[in-house]
Amino acid sequence: MPAERGPRRALFLFLGSLAGIAATAVAAGRRLDVVEVTGHSMAPTLLPGDRLLVEALSYRRRPPRPGEIVLARDPRQRDRELVKRISHVDPSSGSAELEGDAADDSTDSRTFGPVPLEDVRWRAVVRCWPLGRIGRLRGR
Amino acid sequence: MLTLRSLLRPTRRVHAHCDIPCGIYDPEQARIEAESCLRIIEKHDASDDKLFRARCIHVKEERAELVKHHLDVLWHDYFKPEHLEKYPDLHTTFWNASKAASKVKQSMDAAAARDLLSQIDTIDEMWKATGGPEKTRVNGRPS
Repeated sequence: MPAERGPRRALFLFLGSLAGIAATAVAAGRRLDVVEVTGHSMAPTLLPGDRLLVEALSYRRRPPRPGEIVLARDPRQRDRELVKRISHVDPSSGSAELEGDAADDSTDSRTFGPVPLEDVRWRAVVRCWPLGRIGRLRGR
Repeated sequence: MLTLRSLLRPTRRVHAHCDIPCGIYDPEQARIEAESCLRIIEKHDASDDKLFRARCIHVKEERAELVKHHLDVLWHDYFKPEHLEKYPDLHTTFWNASKAASKVKQSMDAAAARDLLSQIDTIDEMWKATGGPEKTRVNGRPS
């Protein structure tokens, strides 16, 4: 019935793109996330209670760069994620050193040494909460 | 429904971690235990009481162990790589001081206890020169 062809195709296209959008959203959900900061070692850049938009796309393409704020698995307590700044990257050994902005109140690579790059997957992009502190997180 | 609130809801906590953010350090802590070792050795030598002398040996070993512990905490937790740049012999200094503390633990030699005190004083100078009294005591070191 050629008369129904047009509307039916349109319906399929519509449902198909809805599914596509949903799939993209789910995938993005795994690569894009919001986390909450505890602890003071990144003060004054990050304070306890700050929320960060983090993404896990960049480090699939390239290694982290010094100055970027990242999430990294705590080498001394593997079920915990740290938020620190990259102070040094050594591509030859596949490792990175982390340091807190509040150097005197931070336990980081100066204590536990470098961490493997595969434990650094997430990059912090934006401080999205509280509203008064919204801002892009820049490397330095 | 996707709302701004649900978009901003954090899924997990990440840690801007510090082991214990107390940041209180002072070589005086090691020095007091080391002084205690010296005084115990002197008291031991001045006594004829067998039981008292045995207690001296026992307590002095405990105190010497505490010296080693306090030195370790300073070494691992207070001193940072930027201090090593200023004091390239930092590790050797701590290594020697810990060895001196071991010697005090093992012997009843007053000279060894005095040597330990002078090594702790060297560390104390480094602590002072790196801003320790202002940064790692609540109201500075009491005078």
